[in-house]
Amino acid sequence: MNTKSEAIKIKILKYMKSYKKECVLGPLFKFIEASFELLVPLVVAQIIDVGIANYDKVYIFKMVGILVLLGFAGLAFSITAQFFSAKAAVGFASKIRQALFRHIQSFSYTDIDTISTSTLITRMTSDINQIQTGVNLTLRLALRSPFVVFGAMFMAFTISFKAALVFVVSIPVIAAVIFAIMLVCIPLYKKVQANLDRIMLIVRENLSGVRVIRAFYKENDEKNKFIEQNEEVTKIQKYTGRISAIMNPATIALVNLAIVLLIYIGGVQVSNGIISQGEVVALYNYMSQILVELVKLATMIITLTKAVASANRVSAVLKTPSTQNFTDKSTTENGDIAVEFDNVYMKYSGAADYSLSDISFTAKRGETIGVIGGTGAGKSTLVNLIPGFYYADKGAVRVNGVDVTDINSEDLRKIVGVVMQKNVLFSGTVRDNMKWGNSEATDADILKAIYAAQAEDIINSKENGLDFIIEQNGRNLSGGQKQRLTIARALVKKPEILILDDSSSALDFATDAKLRKSLRELDFNTTVFVVSQRISSIAHADKIIVLDDGNCVGVGTHDELLNSSEVYKEIYNSQTGGGNQ
Amino acid sequence: MKKSTLRKTLKYIGNYKYLMLFSIILAVISVLFNLYIPVIIGYAIDCIKGFNNVDFHSMFGYLIKAGVIAIITAIITWIMNVINNRVTYHVVRDVRNDAFKKIQILPFSYLDSHSNGDILSRVVADADQFADGLLMGFTQLFTGIVTIVGTFVFMIMINYKIALLVVLFTPLSLLVANFISKRTYHMFKKQSETRAVQTSFIDEIIGNQKVVHAFVHEKEAIDRFDKINDDLEKYSLRATFFSSITNPSTRFVNNLIYAGVGLSGAFIVLAGKLTVGSLSCLLSYANQFAKPFNEISGVITELQNAFACADRLFELIEEQPQIPDKKDAIAIDRADGNIKLENVCFSYTPDKKLIQNFNLSVSPGQRVAIVGPTGCGKTTLINLLMRFYDVTSGSIKVEGTDIRDITRKSLRENYGMVLQDTWLKSGTVKDNIIMGKPDATDEEIIKAAKESHAHSFIKRLPNGYDTQIGEEGGNLSQGQKQLLCITRIMLALPPMLILDEATSSIDTRTELKVQDAFARLMKGRTSFIVAHRLSTIKDADIILVMKNGNIVEQGTHKELLDKNGFYSVLYNSQFEH
Repeated sequence: MNTKSEAIKIKILKYMKSYKKECVLGPLFKFIEASFELLVPLVVAQIIDVGIANYDKVYIFKMVGILVLLGFAGLAFSITAQFFSAKAAVGFASKIRQALFRHIQSFSYTDIDTISTSTLITRMTSDINQIQTGVNLTLRLALRSPFVVFGAMFMAFTISFKAALVFVVSIPVIAAVIFAIMLVCIPLYKKVQANLDRIMLIVRENLSGVRVIRAFYKENDEKNKFIEQNEEVTKIQKYTGRISAIMNPATIALVNLAIVLLIYIGGVQVSNGIISQGEVVALYNYMSQILVELVKLATMIITLTKAVASANRVSAVLKTPSTQNFTDKSTTENGDIAVEFDNVYMKYSGAADYSLSDISFTAKRGETIGVIGGTGAGKSTLVNLIPGFYYADKGAVRVNGVDVTDINSEDLRKIVGVVMQKNVLFSGTVRDNMKWGNSEATDADILKAIYAAQAEDIINSKENGLDFIIEQNGRNLSGGQKQRLTIARALVKKPEILILDDSSSALDFATDAKLRKSLRELDFNTTVFVVSQRISSIAHADKIIVLDDGNCVGVGTHDELLNSSEVYKEIYNSQTGGGNQ
Repeated sequence: MKKSTLRKTLKYIGNYKYLMLFSIILAVISVLFNLYIPVIIGYAIDCIKGFNNVDFHSMFGYLIKAGVIAIITAIITWIMNVINNRVTYHVVRDVRNDAFKKIQILPFSYLDSHSNGDILSRVVADADQFADGLLMGFTQLFTGIVTIVGTFVFMIMINYKIALLVVLFTPLSLLVANFISKRTYHMFKKQSETRAVQTSFIDEIIGNQKVVHAFVHEKEAIDRFDKINDDLEKYSLRATFFSSITNPSTRFVNNLIYAGVGLSGAFIVLAGKLTVGSLSCLLSYANQFAKPFNEISGVITELQNAFACADRLFELIEEQPQIPDKKDAIAIDRADGNIKLENVCFSYTPDKKLIQNFNLSVSPGQRVAIVGPTGCGKTTLINLLMRFYDVTSGSIKVEGTDIRDITRKSLRENYGMVLQDTWLKSGTVKDNIIMGKPDATDEEIIKAAKESHAHSFIKRLPNGYDTQIGEEGGNLSQGQKQLLCITRIMLALPPMLILDEATSSIDTRTELKVQDAFARLMKGRTSFIVAHRLSTIKDADIILVMKNGNIVEQGTHKELLDKNGFYSVLYNSQFEH
């Protein structure tokens, strides 16, 4: 397990590359500061041995002056060290966040379906914060503490070989204890984070579903659910804390026991005339120094353990390969046929059955294609294959005669405009949102699209027009308003292929009719796919595809289908049976 | 650092005051033992006098004593740490629970105007940081203070003049620490705020990743993210660096004090009033005396960050909740469906009036249809009926009682609501269906699902009714989600219904069947329907026509057509192609 986590850490460590300088300089300056600190006892010894012994007041002043200078130098070096380590830690975290965000941006629809949003958010936020803290502390202490520990051991050898053996034995024992506790804790910290993910999920859900939750008066149930989950986190945090809390006292106890042993051995050696009493005191001082550093080291290791657990969670996301298509083939060939389905089968990952089976049809340039069928018949799946959101498992989907699996995802999506079932607008002005379709669009372009989408009343009713600020998730707009703006956004793109996936569901009949009319009068040539429940929305289409449970049960015009397709006739009757047409 | 934040934190800690007291006692014992061990070791060293002159018998005694105390100290320290852990995590748990409880009673006006990401970041990330800081505070603050006091006593015993010197100048380092921390608090706050902005952005973009892809908007998203990320890096670097100055600065002050002790001590020795041994002892104590100050200043930095986070949590916890149910609010059992709106005025913001002096009387079993162009404010009416928002003036009465005098629970239980915006919670299909009737039997559930025509697709899911649905409905289509929302109502069978475009995502063949079921359901139940299909509206008992947030016409289909007003324009437009 350890070798694996090492490998992962190294994968993340590459983001440290640009901070090589800081990573060297930070610990180095810290090291120099520590050396100054080690000089202080020597200076004091001089004061006592020379200054006091010789009654030399000037010498004492001089030495105290050196102490003050050492203090100044220490301050300068350590502030510099703190700066470098803060810069490296913060910069490193920032780079990882950037990489992670970029990586998530490259995820395909299937990837997005399989990884939950909440866990991605915790990894991008609290996990990376943990890494930052860990790196910062490590850079400050990583060089300093081992230096002091091994330096002290080295000094012990110069005094007495036999006594130094106590150091040789006790240091690995203490290291082993620290290491063992660390190994137990890493998986536990992972568990803590996984539980925090669940907390995140509940809070998110409660915010997004607040109307339904309150309508069903489920506040108490949700509260209990949260409290239960929170208790779970607390429990595992406490358990983890209990184990990691062993580290510090155990280290201190071991060092104290080592001191006891050291003094015993020292006593025997003094008795045998090998070393002096003063040297025993020196040995004792070295062991005490080790103790202080080990305590710091233990704290660092706990933080580092957490950071490693977080680093693993971040790496796991970075390691998830993106299944998007990055071929460099684009689709510019302009044949007569815009879109072609050739015996297409499609199954969602993890699903048991095909969502589409054996679909074949062609759409000529400039045609309007209607797609109709029952709930779950596969209408959205069908149109999602055109911009390559998902790929066919069998058969081929071709755009301009090229198989979509061969086309670069970005190029493909640039020529396909999609209005999805779920109306999503982003926080920012109306203009910002419209520019999603085309970042170079002028206000005139945008207004034209807004008029075509029958959305002019929205911007006319708002004081700031295009500068009207839409809140997150379009909260300050109604469902119908959002829907028309999402249509406008797709129109700004002037796409070669326009897909309207049930995008007039929130519109009243009058607006829907006007929208249909304006879509026929667009000033650019586009092949339109209209997915709808309403016959009236697709009746005028050049070709209508009737889906039933993933199968194509009819292709043709409205009039042809009325004669040939039972399913279509049934849908037609269900809508006109209401007596409106 | 805000004093009130500290006070509020202490209030939460107060719940564990006995544990805290125990922890403090353990801290005192462990520190005294830790200070005592060197003394015993010193005695042991004194037994080693020189060649062939070692008092092994006494030395053994001291060493065994030191070893035993070392082990006892370790155990005591561990217990103290466990207690501190416990208190910290319990306090954070309590704060988190309170924050979540508050979310449940926040008014919609707050929720509708605050970003989810910001609230999320408070409850999850800020609470986490708070825990880290608090834990560090507990474990190091007490031991630090006790060490200071203990060392001080030892120093006085040796030479009170030098002890006084140390005590007089040590506060200088606290002053420095305080000076720095006051300035870094704002930086930490800025860091927290930028973090919240970033979380919000991540939430929005990653939550809607599919749309981002569809518009090839990845680059723009990345650019925007990088900008926020750069800001965060900037603020974070400032906060981290400036706070990390504290430690070296206080250490510097301490080094000066150390030098001062050396100087004055040396002269006192020269005057013959102090031995060299005592001086070295004093010097080592002066050093020890300073160490906890350094630690404490480190803790203060961490605590600051923690308090900045706690502040954001407390802000949420102290947010004005929705007006609670009146004490004598009545619980209606099963409403008969009589609803009266009297002189209702309402607006979301005072400067933009919406509904004005609206009157409506609905008899039990009547069907009220709400029509109007998109964006005319149909949802506002639902917000008022469900009491998601309170009327600005006037009143809404159910069974003759003002709904502000009825418990929210009973009011909402009497309504069955299906919204156009389908929302499912993560859990099984069954969990989602039984929201309105948790004790429903499997037979009842299946019967309801058959009624709503959801049964056939649920059956085809991998685990049928026990299939887990992911966050926000996962892989279900909008239509399927909507069918599940309708099934909820079919199971709960509440006496009043609100159907806001309840069938907008369902194909028309299924919809026709669902409408049939609705028609049966609506018999004898008062219902409010927002719909575009005019066939549904035509048969309504009352049609409300809305425009620009206000109700402009009211009557039956025939009356409204005869009136030749806005409704007839709407109605006739559907025949245009």
